[in-house]
Amino acid sequence: MEPQCKRQKTAELEDAFPWQVVPVLSERELRHVVLMPVYAAPVLDKKEASRLVKEVSAIYPLGDYPHLKRVRACGSVDSSHPLEMILCLASGKQEQDALQTLLELFPDGQLDLYGLGEPFLTQVPVYPPVTRLQYEEAASHWPVSFHENKRISQAMSGCLFTPSEKASMQSHMKLAIQAAQRGARQGMKPVGAVVVDPATGRVLAEGHDCRDGFNPLLHAAMVCIDLVACGQGGGAYSFQDYPGCTFLPSANNLDQSPSLANGLPYICTGYDMYLTREPCAMCAMALVHSRIERVFYGVPSPHGALGTKHHMHCRKDLNHRYEVFRGILEDQCRNLEHFSGLNNP
Amino acid sequence: MEAAETEAWMDRAIDMAKKALENGEVPVGCLMVYNNEIIGKGKNEVNETKNATRHAEMVAIDQVIDWCCQHKKDPEEVFGHTVLYVTVEPCIMCAAALRMMKIPLVIYGCQNERFGGCGSVLNISSATLTDTGEPFQCIAGYQSEEAVEMLKTFYRQENPNAPKSKVRKKECFN
Repeated sequence: MEPQCKRQKTAELEDAFPWQVVPVLSERELRHVVLMPVYAAPVLDKKEASRLVKEVSAIYPLGDYPHLKRVRACGSVDSSHPLEMILCLASGKQEQDALQTLLELFPDGQLDLYGLGEPFLTQVPVYPPVTRLQYEEAASHWPVSFHENKRISQAMSGCLFTPSEKASMQSHMKLAIQAAQRGARQGMKPVGAVVVDPATGRVLAEGHDCRDGFNPLLHAAMVCIDLVACGQGGGAYSFQDYPGCTFLPSANNLDQSPSLANGLPYICTGYDMYLTREPCAMCAMALVHSRIERVFYGVPSPHGALGTKHHMHCRKDLNHRYEVFRGILEDQCRNLEHFSGLNNP
Repeated sequence: MEAAETEAWMDRAIDMAKKALENGEVPVGCLMVYNNEIIGKGKNEVNETKNATRHAEMVAIDQVIDWCCQHKKDPEEVFGHTVLYVTVEPCIMCAAALRMMKIPLVIYGCQNERFGGCGSVLNISSATLTDTGEPFQCIAGYQSEEAVEMLKTFYRQENPNAPKSKVRKKECFN
């Protein structure tokens, strides 16, 4: 409930931003509830419930589905029995065959069937819910346990960031938009990017797409990754022909930022990247390799790899994951598509 | 294409990977071959440049672009007739880059279980992707044992440039 209170308190301030920051969640967090069939049975005598749960659980454990509650209360007043319990998983095949009886399900007499009614098939959620939305949908089928991730809930309800954090996001995205416009004036695609160290608030690199310049792979994110490297005394390219591409030399950035490892910066560890539009698969993977902390983008792209075509930021099979938010200055970022350097000298 | 010829090119790619290993880089090497001529050679240069995207393939692509400039050739025509020989399956980033450069054929040594973009983690090489160049053909398995051996040697040593692992307290989604 706490986020709700905060939300109300800051509601007026939030109205100062005509855009919404939206978390780009993983497929696991976004998927609809998937159901599977189980055998359940009414518990006719409430006093038998705890014994039945213990004994049935020993015979048919639900080890792979710890989120499923074994017993549910029967809500309706006119129900002939107070509780219902899961007996065991039913395969899709069993579903088509004739319903099994209690004696068929417990053939060896290991279970004292007293207190159990005739079994029936019902549908229960396969996966543990990870968001409140999934929890509510799952619980409408069968009771499940839910360990709420406060951070996801806050992000989804739009109150993860304070107004001052949003103001700083907005100013960083403005820099990215300006970089995009400077690039466009040199005949480049109007896409901009900025890298910020959130620990110090310092802008480490500002750049724009250079794919129509000397190298077709120099998308805005790739440019900024190299500009950060330049700032650390490395880098593979020279951007001296592009005044819209700049970096902060690390000599100006030597104070002990918490994001520095061993006192030295390591590629993009701990840094945030602002991008006017969703990056492609190459750039999204480059950000995995660069160990970026968070990515904020303005508008989705039809071939984007952070939410549209792929979820490159949250794959369990890659060795680094980062958080992604979209929607910052979305309208201005969308308008960049029509920005031509020729009309706006 | 003759197998012996492929082996010979792959030997040269292995030599590049050895150089990367000597420099303390992840040992991956590659060649770009156009009309039987090497027009690009790459090795991993991530630590040297402090840029995590400087994989062998990206370095070699830049060399081919430079070569086209010097020889007044059309890059699109050159990349369209170039074969990449690389010791390890290209990662997701490089596979996307190779698509965008429209390289038709990639011959590689061992699989890249951690980052592979030609089937191991994602299948960028053959997927239907709008606005991301063209799919390319892959032939795997040339001198894979030697490529794997070098990677094992590298990962036995600790990467001296990587930060000490620190326990993260921050709650994070995903």
